[in-house]
Amino acid sequence: MADNTSQQLLDMWKRQVEEGTQAWLRMMGQAQAPTPTSAPNLGMDPQAFWRPFMDQGMAAWSKVMTQGTPPSPDLMAQWKQFLDQWIAAWSRVLEQAMGTDTFAQLMGKQLEGFLNVSAPIKKAAEQQIDASLAGLGIPSRAQVVALARHVAQVEEKIDALEDKLERILRRLNDTGAPRTERA
Amino acid sequence: MKDELFTMMGEMPAMSPELLARMREEANRNLLRMKHFSEMVMNPKEPKIGATPRQEIFRTNKSRLWRYESRRTIRTPLLFVPNLGISRPYIFDLMPKGSFVEHMTQHGFDFYLVDWGVFGEEDNGLSVEDAVTKILPRLARKALESSGASEMSVLGYCMGAPLSASFVATHPDFPLKNYINMAGPIDFAHVGLFGKWLAPGVFDVDKYVDTLGSIPAEMVKMGFKLLKPTMDVSTNLNLWWNLWNPDYVSGFTALNKWANEYLPFPGEFFRQWVRDFYQQNKLIRGELMMGGRRVDLREIRCPVLAVGAREDNIAPPACVKPLIDAVSTRDKEYVELPGGHISLIAGRGASVHCWPKVSSWLAARS
Repeated sequence: MADNTSQQLLDMWKRQVEEGTQAWLRMMGQAQAPTPTSAPNLGMDPQAFWRPFMDQGMAAWSKVMTQGTPPSPDLMAQWKQFLDQWIAAWSRVLEQAMGTDTFAQLMGKQLEGFLNVSAPIKKAAEQQIDASLAGLGIPSRAQVVALARHVAQVEEKIDALEDKLERILRRLNDTGAPRTERA
Repeated sequence: MKDELFTMMGEMPAMSPELLARMREEANRNLLRMKHFSEMVMNPKEPKIGATPRQEIFRTNKSRLWRYESRRTIRTPLLFVPNLGISRPYIFDLMPKGSFVEHMTQHGFDFYLVDWGVFGEEDNGLSVEDAVTKILPRLARKALESSGASEMSVLGYCMGAPLSASFVATHPDFPLKNYINMAGPIDFAHVGLFGKWLAPGVFDVDKYVDTLGSIPAEMVKMGFKLLKPTMDVSTNLNLWWNLWNPDYVSGFTALNKWANEYLPFPGEFFRQWVRDFYQQNKLIRGELMMGGRRVDLREIRCPVLAVGAREDNIAPPACVKPLIDAVSTRDKEYVELPGGHISLIAGRGASVHCWPKVSSWLAARS
């Protein structure tokens, strides 16, 4: 009785996971168009992802359920290992799905949509804030940024001058030319 | 139902003393887990990061050059060039006994770290070319002057590898002793998921930069999180599992702080980075121009070491290794080590696999 019940439960769970994965992959348009970009040996067969840790997990749980093995720290370690493999398997599935052209195109479109929406909002908000700050006589963000950029450019010019001076001094030292001083 | 459950469990066999001891140990660990968890929630401690003594040698705009002094038993100092943007460089000196910088200085290398800094909106005009032809040469020269050495080794990590490779290839006057590429993409045809997501026709980099100006840290974070969506789950699971161990907890706290501090990209930098490197793969094709000069990797004539990480999904080994075929030297080596992009250089695995390999390879040639 115990054997059958636990086995049936685990089989049912395994079926659900596999069917769920297949449905998910179909949704991503991958069931028919596998790509060899990553993990080529695994293909897109969900069984290949689940089987190694599924079998191990089932064996461990069957042992607990049917033989009455007392709970021990080893069981915790096995459970941790089971979860690690579960996460690794999901990671592989997600990596394959995200490595497809379909996913990349979808993400590109999402980003473009986001930019199309955010650009006018950003511009309108900036104009409004600038107008409010101008009314209060406070420099706008754009003005502060321009000032900071100007300071950075001045610093860059000083650094460039320093570089040139150092080069000239080095050349003078290398050639051993006498330095002339003007009174 | 309850009866059935007990039937399923069967008879509980008698426990052996050994099992009893292990269960007691597990119970103790659970108590420690609860204790550390409540400390993390109720009284979180600020991790001690970047503890190795250092001095600022030079600063230009947001960028700084740091010197970590050693006993100088190795004659040639090392210039370390990390990524610009994305994350802060204290990962290389994360914590005592868990620091690449500490390892290198203990092995006698004077260590110079390029800290690109955190760029703001005013730096949106900064391009890759500016970083390679203006900032990096200046910092490299200052490092050389400060060390008093006649030659210097350069190590590029992650994005720092293509940047530093472009620098050394276009500056033949720089006295380069050795060059190391650590997890740095060189051939962007094999750069993995980012390559797919940033491909031309998929990602309109011009529209992105023109609209946003710079690439906000939150966007950078989103991109990296998407690269490994299960990362947070596995990180938290591992934390729970090791929560009894105070060493693990302190390491986790430091790493977690770093992992959640993302940095923005200057707009023009991102535009050139995506277009020239990811979309057009100009570096390995020999089509990249920097400061009016073509970046020719064959100009790298010193000993070269390339280090790839087997599980790296940011710079997979296939995009790191091609440097070896591109340079003009006979003394070149490629090694592939266990770990991912970060665990290659930080953490326990790095201290066992990567750091000793890098320090011994360099020591033999410095």
